[in-house]
Amino acid sequence: MPDLRELVRAAVEAAQADEAVEAYAEESRQTEASALRGEIEGLEFAESRGVGVRMIRDSRLGYAYAADPSVDEVREAVVRARENAALTEPDEFNVLPAAEPAAEIPELYRADSADVTTEAKVQMALDLERRLVTSDPRVTKVDLAQVGDVVSRVAIASTVGVESEYARTDAWVVAVTLAVEGDETQTGFSYRIARALDELGPDEVADEAIERAVRMLGAAKPPTAKVPIVLDRFAAMDFLGVLASALNAENVLKGRSLFAEMVGDQVGSGLFTLVDDGTILDGPGAAPFDAEGVPSGRTELFTAGTLNGFLHDTYTAARMGDGQRSTGNAKRGSYKGSPGVGTSNFYLDNGSTPFEELLREAEGGVLIADVSGVHSGANPISGEFSVGATGLRIEGGALGEPLREMTIASTLPEMLAGITGLGDDLRFFSSVGTPSVLIGEMTLAGV
Amino acid sequence: MLDRALVDDVLTAARRRGGAFAELFVEETTSTSIRLDDGKVEELTTGLDRGAGVRVTHGTSYGYAFSNRLDRAALLEAAEAASAALREGAAGSVVDLRTLEGPLTNAVERPASGVPAADKVGWLRELDEAARAYSPEVVQVVGVYGDSLQRRLIATSDGRWVEEDRPRIRLVAQVVAKRDENIQTGFHGPAACAGVEFIDANTPQATAEVAAARAVTMLDSVPAPAGEMPVVLAPGMGGVLFHEAVGHPLEADAVDKEASVYRGLVGERCASELINGVDDATIPNGWGSFTFDDEGTPAQRTVLFTDGVLRSYLYDRLRAEKDGVDSTGNGRRQSYASPPVVRMTNTNILNGASDPEQVLADTPEGVYVTALGGGQVNPATGDFVFGVSEGYLIEHGEATTPVRGANLIGRAIEVMSSVDAVADDFDTWEGVCGKDGQSAPVGSGSPTLRISKITVGGTGA
Repeated sequence: MPDLRELVRAAVEAAQADEAVEAYAEESRQTEASALRGEIEGLEFAESRGVGVRMIRDSRLGYAYAADPSVDEVREAVVRARENAALTEPDEFNVLPAAEPAAEIPELYRADSADVTTEAKVQMALDLERRLVTSDPRVTKVDLAQVGDVVSRVAIASTVGVESEYARTDAWVVAVTLAVEGDETQTGFSYRIARALDELGPDEVADEAIERAVRMLGAAKPPTAKVPIVLDRFAAMDFLGVLASALNAENVLKGRSLFAEMVGDQVGSGLFTLVDDGTILDGPGAAPFDAEGVPSGRTELFTAGTLNGFLHDTYTAARMGDGQRSTGNAKRGSYKGSPGVGTSNFYLDNGSTPFEELLREAEGGVLIADVSGVHSGANPISGEFSVGATGLRIEGGALGEPLREMTIASTLPEMLAGITGLGDDLRFFSSVGTPSVLIGEMTLAGV
Repeated sequence: MLDRALVDDVLTAARRRGGAFAELFVEETTSTSIRLDDGKVEELTTGLDRGAGVRVTHGTSYGYAFSNRLDRAALLEAAEAASAALREGAAGSVVDLRTLEGPLTNAVERPASGVPAADKVGWLRELDEAARAYSPEVVQVVGVYGDSLQRRLIATSDGRWVEEDRPRIRLVAQVVAKRDENIQTGFHGPAACAGVEFIDANTPQATAEVAAARAVTMLDSVPAPAGEMPVVLAPGMGGVLFHEAVGHPLEADAVDKEASVYRGLVGERCASELINGVDDATIPNGWGSFTFDDEGTPAQRTVLFTDGVLRSYLYDRLRAEKDGVDSTGNGRRQSYASPPVVRMTNTNILNGASDPEQVLADTPEGVYVTALGGGQVNPATGDFVFGVSEGYLIEHGEATTPVRGANLIGRAIEVMSSVDAVADDFDTWEGVCGKDGQSAPVGSGSPTLRISKITVGGTGA
């Protein structure tokens, strides 16, 4: 079997004189174990390998990919990418990034995690499920108790001199519990993504999933009102996804972002500082270079509420002009797609207010524990959103009556400007992190 | 795709520790995807995917492993790995593999593979021109064309040998309209398991105009009201809601985990008596249609509700065997890289007797929903939410001012019980459904219907 470097070199060598060619190869070995009723529910092994070829010819872009190709099949993919490029329109901003040395991050690969046996991972899942169903009498069933990890390697090479590779390990734990009392069922969810299996802290994840289910028992539907809102970190995290789309320079350039004309403006409250940083070692989104070989960096998108700029890849930076450089935010879902702008470790900077103090400041309001329907209910183009929510009433500085079947609605600028408090509890669940967020007032719709 | 002797050896290896059955799923998929954005055909991607997955089951437990390679060594290695999920047991046998045949569900007149890519690029140009010609307020257009042909082989240790080719085609228009600082979007994306004859019937121009009309209409919108009120759902939209709020909790894996609000309710009335609902994979060329599901079970039409009475859950093999019933043919997977999960095909609320115009005329006030942007349900609690991408106020029985920023939130059984009118103007809606990290094309459909009371979440008065 040819190694990844051999495959990407073969693509680059197959380029003709007037062509820019980039090849991206990845291979991964993933294990995922879930437990149910004290037994293995599912044990999945996934080994995947593939190469994607990006071709720029006469400023036209073509792409082709092949799963687990031979060297000959990589050359065929170059031919297909060339044919495809002939059918797209020229765009002067279609360029490959020049080679820039990226600092290696050897810590991304944890050999001890890669060497963990399947049996040990299965045992982790079984232990997780046991803890989930034996800690609270109201929680005797799980919807999901899963532990997984993936060991992967990426190589990239291009006709303009990029040639790099790196290896990484990633691991995750997910728990979804069912709390039952009488006829009522409530669910609780928690998860964590980390660099290595021994950093997952499955017990904490389990306890949190239990707590989040149990505290919702007895939930009622609240009356429609405008109230102070505290976004729990789980809920705040979902909104960061919408912000990421609106801060993607491609969307900005193509008239699909409400922030397009707001650079330099005070959009959010002075507490709002939003960062993307692909160099944070512990972050799941860390990498030495992005999906087109540009070194990862740190970009402060908002500083104290003021919009500084956007996330860029090579294409959007070239098209933006004015000396804009790629921020190292080219990402791809897999070798099957060409790169586009995406986040690395994307987080709302930590505040200084203890969570309990946020609750006191939100007296009479609601802690939003979870939001749902964000992908359809929040519009990153217009900034309007209306999403489903569950939560808990804030009474006497503490969490009180659980609430369900309600919605919160506003616009992103109003919400960002309305931030009146930030917790000191920044947490990364995945490559997205946030502290708890207090918002002065929002419309909550119920009865 | 593979010879029977090799398949037999792989299944035998997968059963080295016994288990209920072993299954091999082999796939070879060719695909074309073209994206037009910002007035330019930006990218044309062609892909070749192939691989095989081996599953070994024991009760509702399973082991799964796949390989991108289809050689003997790789397949035997996958079989070995999948069987590792089982405790040590006596090896199981493999029954003689027999080819199953079924009626052709997805007939193709003109295969997409036979059409030059330049023609497909031309459709996107037509779409772009039509959307921009619709109104000077249209400022941005994305068009995405995709086709694929998935060749599948499914073989199981209990003797199934199923081969089926699955063609897919889709053309999507996403339009942005702008007036001063007000930006709105419209989406339309008809799809089918068919050849390019589908594009003749759903022209790029028509698709573009539906999306453009949505975006431009919403420029006149006012913030949606908040609170409980009657809601009338346009044809097709009730199906989207039915899929999400009712269909997911009826999937037998949720029921088995006691994570479904419909657990124990088969035979009970748990929807308005106006509700007759089915899941039907046999609809010719439907977006969720096939001849066999991804476990090799023949496609079928499963009655879910008769006059509001729950009739059946949706089953794959594992859950069906546990409950002592037959699979309803709802074992589906995204690709060879994933094991099958229980999921819907085309899920429809059937026509009622009301006149759709009369349904609206009989509604003094509320919201008329003509497009939903998608939704989410918690199957265990039945709590669901939907974003409304195109909606109108209903005033004195007429749809009037468009509203934006609305969603619908409710609980499955309550909301389906409060349907008080079902019309006779059935239409469909094609979407992509996500579950357990896998996505699958699904159809849904319904006539116009009215919910007497549901919470609308907006910001307006």
